[in-house]
Amino acid sequence: MPAYLIHLAILFSIYAILALSLNLIFGYTGLMSLAHAAFFGIGAYTVAILTTRYNFNFLSATLAGIIAAIILAALIGFVLSKFKGDYYTLGSLGFNFIIFATMLNLQNLTNGPLGIPGIPRPNFFGLDSSIDFNFLLLSTCCLLLVYLICRFIVNSSFGRALKAIREDEQALEIFGYNVRNFKFLVFVISAGLAAIAGSLFACFITYIDPTTFGSNESVFLWSIIILGGLANLRGSLLGALFLILLPEALRFVGFPENVAAQMRQLVYGLLLVILMMYRPQGLMGEYKL
Amino acid sequence: MTIVPQLIVNSLFAGSVYALMAMSFTLIFGATKFFNFVHGSFTVIGGYAVFYLVERLAWPIYIAIILSIIVAGGVGFILDKTVNLPLRKKKSTNTVKLVASLGLFIVIQAFVAILFTSQFQTLSNTIEQKIYQIGSAVFTQTQAVMFVSAIVVFFGIMLLLKFTLFGKAVNALSDDEEVAKIVGINTDKIISYVFFIGAAISGWVGILVAYDTGIEPTMGLGALLKGIIAAVVGGMGSVPGAFLGAFLLGFAENFGIWKINGEWKDAIAFGLLIIFLLFRPQGIIKK
Repeated sequence: MPAYLIHLAILFSIYAILALSLNLIFGYTGLMSLAHAAFFGIGAYTVAILTTRYNFNFLSATLAGIIAAIILAALIGFVLSKFKGDYYTLGSLGFNFIIFATMLNLQNLTNGPLGIPGIPRPNFFGLDSSIDFNFLLLSTCCLLLVYLICRFIVNSSFGRALKAIREDEQALEIFGYNVRNFKFLVFVISAGLAAIAGSLFACFITYIDPTTFGSNESVFLWSIIILGGLANLRGSLLGALFLILLPEALRFVGFPENVAAQMRQLVYGLLLVILMMYRPQGLMGEYKL
Repeated sequence: MTIVPQLIVNSLFAGSVYALMAMSFTLIFGATKFFNFVHGSFTVIGGYAVFYLVERLAWPIYIAIILSIIVAGGVGFILDKTVNLPLRKKKSTNTVKLVASLGLFIVIQAFVAILFTSQFQTLSNTIEQKIYQIGSAVFTQTQAVMFVSAIVVFFGIMLLLKFTLFGKAVNALSDDEEVAKIVGINTDKIISYVFFIGAAISGWVGILVAYDTGIEPTMGLGALLKGIIAAVVGGMGSVPGAFLGAFLLGFAENFGIWKINGEWKDAIAFGLLIIFLLFRPQGIIKK
């Protein structure tokens, strides 16, 4: 398989994990959070720091990343749960901003804007994943795992309660459901899953810096799940596929390097606008914004 | 203690910029009732327009500034007509409009980056940058203009809203769009004009920032967020509230970093927002 396609497939699996986890809180529960890139970043930075400076291995570093994301999500989710509607989105954007600023400013820990280079590719089951194809196996397994977890959640009574929360929170409270706990729990789970994607990303690219985890990335994730369709897991996969492949197709049009990166942004911004105007439910959505 | 006058001066200038952003944001919010993230784009447009005209085309400064303000306002007007109007007609939820505005913000940011590269640009000092001093506090001419324009814009908007027919229409529209339409106000037209005014003010902020520090395509988000924080703290929809909230924010930030490390300035701003959202969500002045 040509190296370029393998590269794309790995990126697809990483962003698919992000999309699935975001869809859990956005599409199914109705929590419109712009903070998702922050949890992606927490996972990535935890793994990067632990593997480069303290010689953790991949699995334990990833677990640490998941735990870090979960702890942070607990704090952030707790504060955010007090906000309603658009203020929730605003607050989540604020938290993303704060975490981004932390990544940029805690230079002793994160190396600031210079980023952390030299993150090692993991060695698992005896397979050396510095060969890209082996890494693809790893990321696909992770994607499968995350997909199964999400599907389990969504098809359970817990998932049904989430959808009900999205539709009419007050009604659910009257029925005696502890809505706060549900929202809290799914937010924390989603953050943990995002951290897995962060870990994969860090190990794949072997270099991370704060700019990947800013609010633009959160908006990009929004466009993936909105395009694919909210509250539809396969839709998230489709959206990720589309939005990873499309900018690559643009690459062949022959723009210079700097322009190509911005074209990706332009395209998905435009896509958001067009989707909102003409098809808010996206490709496979069950839920119209 | 001699640092205090400088802190006060810094707070006033930060507050002025935030006030301009907040007042224009809250004005548009009052008329359209959703968080319009594209507002930050007008700042970028204003800054880059003046950059292009002065640096690349060598136009005289004052004409360039006036034209840039009009361009920013014009883009706002056009965006309202092409994107917001169809969404309003479809009776889309506020969420849809918010997402669309996010998309537009990203598009404009990317577009500007393609045209002008992502690098930080500064405007050469084609205006004499005088430096003034009051006591131990120092400030530049641009910063003085910031402060004065914030006050002028504040009074301008208040007078507009209170004494002109247009202003009364805007008030009516903010109160209840349906009834305003019934009474015969052409709400779509009024909203477009409000957009023009708001976007023009936002563009003016971009020009100020361009002369104060410099421009880069991502400058819109920071200015916008501070403006939104100020507007929320002051009370969404209330222009005096936005004015007050902005200066409160400016003071909180600058006196905050007196004791805490300067890198956490933004965290202080968001902390203020969260405190207000938790304990006084209607803001300082309830609309």
